[in-house]
Amino acid sequence: MTAPTPPRTGSAGSIYDLGYRGYDGPRLGRRHAVGTLVRDAFRACWGIGRSGRAKIVPFGLFALAMIPAVVAVGVSALVSQLGEAGGAFDDEAIIGFSSYFEYVWPLVALFVAAQAPELVGGDQRHRVLALLFARALRREDYAGGKLVALVAALLLLLLVPQAVILLGRALVPADVVEAIVADAAQVPAVIGQAILAAVFLGSLGLAIAAYTPRRAFATAGIIAVLIVPPLVSAVAVTLVGESTAGWLTLFSPPDILEGTNAFFFDLTRTSAGRSLPDVAWPLAAMAWSVVAIGALLWRYRTIQP
Amino acid sequence: MSLVRIEALTKQYPGGVLALDDLTLQLEPGIIGLVGSNGAGKSTLIRILLGLLPATSGRAFVLDRDVATDGIGVRALVGYMPEHDALPPDVSATTLVNHMAMLSGLPRGAARERTAEVLRHVGLYEERYRPIGGYSTGMRQRVMLAQALVHDPRLLLLDEPTNGLDPAGRDEMLDLIRRTGREFGIAIILASHLLGEIERVGDFLVAIEGGRLLQAAPLADFTTKTGVVRVELDDDPAPFAQRLDVAGLAHRVDGFDVLIDLGGQDYDLVRDAVAELGLGLVRIEPERRTLEDLFR
Repeated sequence: MTAPTPPRTGSAGSIYDLGYRGYDGPRLGRRHAVGTLVRDAFRACWGIGRSGRAKIVPFGLFALAMIPAVVAVGVSALVSQLGEAGGAFDDEAIIGFSSYFEYVWPLVALFVAAQAPELVGGDQRHRVLALLFARALRREDYAGGKLVALVAALLLLLLVPQAVILLGRALVPADVVEAIVADAAQVPAVIGQAILAAVFLGSLGLAIAAYTPRRAFATAGIIAVLIVPPLVSAVAVTLVGESTAGWLTLFSPPDILEGTNAFFFDLTRTSAGRSLPDVAWPLAAMAWSVVAIGALLWRYRTIQP
Repeated sequence: MSLVRIEALTKQYPGGVLALDDLTLQLEPGIIGLVGSNGAGKSTLIRILLGLLPATSGRAFVLDRDVATDGIGVRALVGYMPEHDALPPDVSATTLVNHMAMLSGLPRGAARERTAEVLRHVGLYEERYRPIGGYSTGMRQRVMLAQALVHDPRLLLLDEPTNGLDPAGRDEMLDLIRRTGREFGIAIILASHLLGEIERVGDFLVAIEGGRLLQAAPLADFTTKTGVVRVELDDDPAPFAQRLDVAGLAHRVDGFDVLIDLGGQDYDLVRDAVAELGLGLVRIEPERRTLEDLFR
């Protein structure tokens, strides 16, 4: 190792010789590279390490998603103060584990529409892929890393408010232990629903965003996929009836999300597609996730960096 | 072990364009200039060597690793600077280079240290904490070089690194590349359509045209002395040229200069003739071939 030589004096902007040292330390390889990608993409999902403006949308949506949970806990605390202990948080409560998702899913969808293009669009727009793909990793690592990061961000968005509800339900009633035991049975459904919803929305959004470097197109595309298919299936069901056109709802992301939620919490659906078996929805969510992940990987396999 | 070994490499793009045509080549470590006009196949060759682009047929090895089957192994040892700008505007040079270092497998602490060192090496100081969007072209090219160097590669692939730079920036970049190659022992393949750049920096020349190999030889072979001297006089060289006719020496007048094929005779002849004619002798210089001659 050589000591750096002192800088030559020169005008600003000239290149100084301060010596150069080689690197003999450890090289951690691909797993480390993927971990770096995931961590960086997760931070990008929330605008961390970016300008303050980049944080407004993700954190704003997160705050909005918290409102139903906070309101639910607040109301039930108020009610129990008034003497009807546990009354507001029984299974008939307006906002609970099973009904929470129907309030917040548009926020989650907006989060995907806003942040998925953020994750993959810039690297294409500014041709950073040429630098990234020249590192010691595979193209699938890049696509997979971004997806894992987005799904993790969505899980945070979905599960933190549910955790607040859980906490509220545990702390508000007189008998804390009994309340926790009663809710424990619901936890697998909460987590299962959140994972499937996050993977489904995340992979769909990222796959669409990956196909255009233009942020506006990507956002519009994601929103279109969330809005147009339910309209088509609803119109079709209205025109030709549930038994003939009900299956069309399996192409509609909002219906799939609603059906999946109903499946996990054992709810009865009353909207279009009600004639289909409950298990059709989680299966549709999984199938579409596989298609979307395939499209995402295909995009990065064939893209010219 | 050779630096690069290419066997009958051919690349045909889906549109039918033949970018590389049966190219066979072996390169040893050094500063290698890869020269050719735009569209000669330089960038295609570099991208195949990185494993970024599959070859249509033939094989390529970098540091004895097959680029088709061990792309990751190759890319761990190679730094790449693409010919186009590839920098995100919203992050700082430090953030970007640090991220690239970690993607190349450097642990967090080492990545941070190397980032600082390598940015200093390319001449970026306080500005490295500002978003890249505000950088000048010269600064952007330095960031591109820094990210290629940060993981201490064995080979640097630089694709038109002086693109878009003004003459001063070009000089500084070439100087930086030469020092990186000479003093730090990193092999460099420098692609350029400007022979002058390669003449200044390189020690080996590979010339390709239309995807085919034109020349591959040490640069010195191209620029050896030719046995011709250039004599510059301070006055009309006509009488001097007559003297040369009498002496039977082939020559050509070029302004106040006379190019003489001395055919092994020494310079005394020139000196004496000039002195007898009472002319002022400005210089006598052996004429070297320039690379441009090759492509005339």
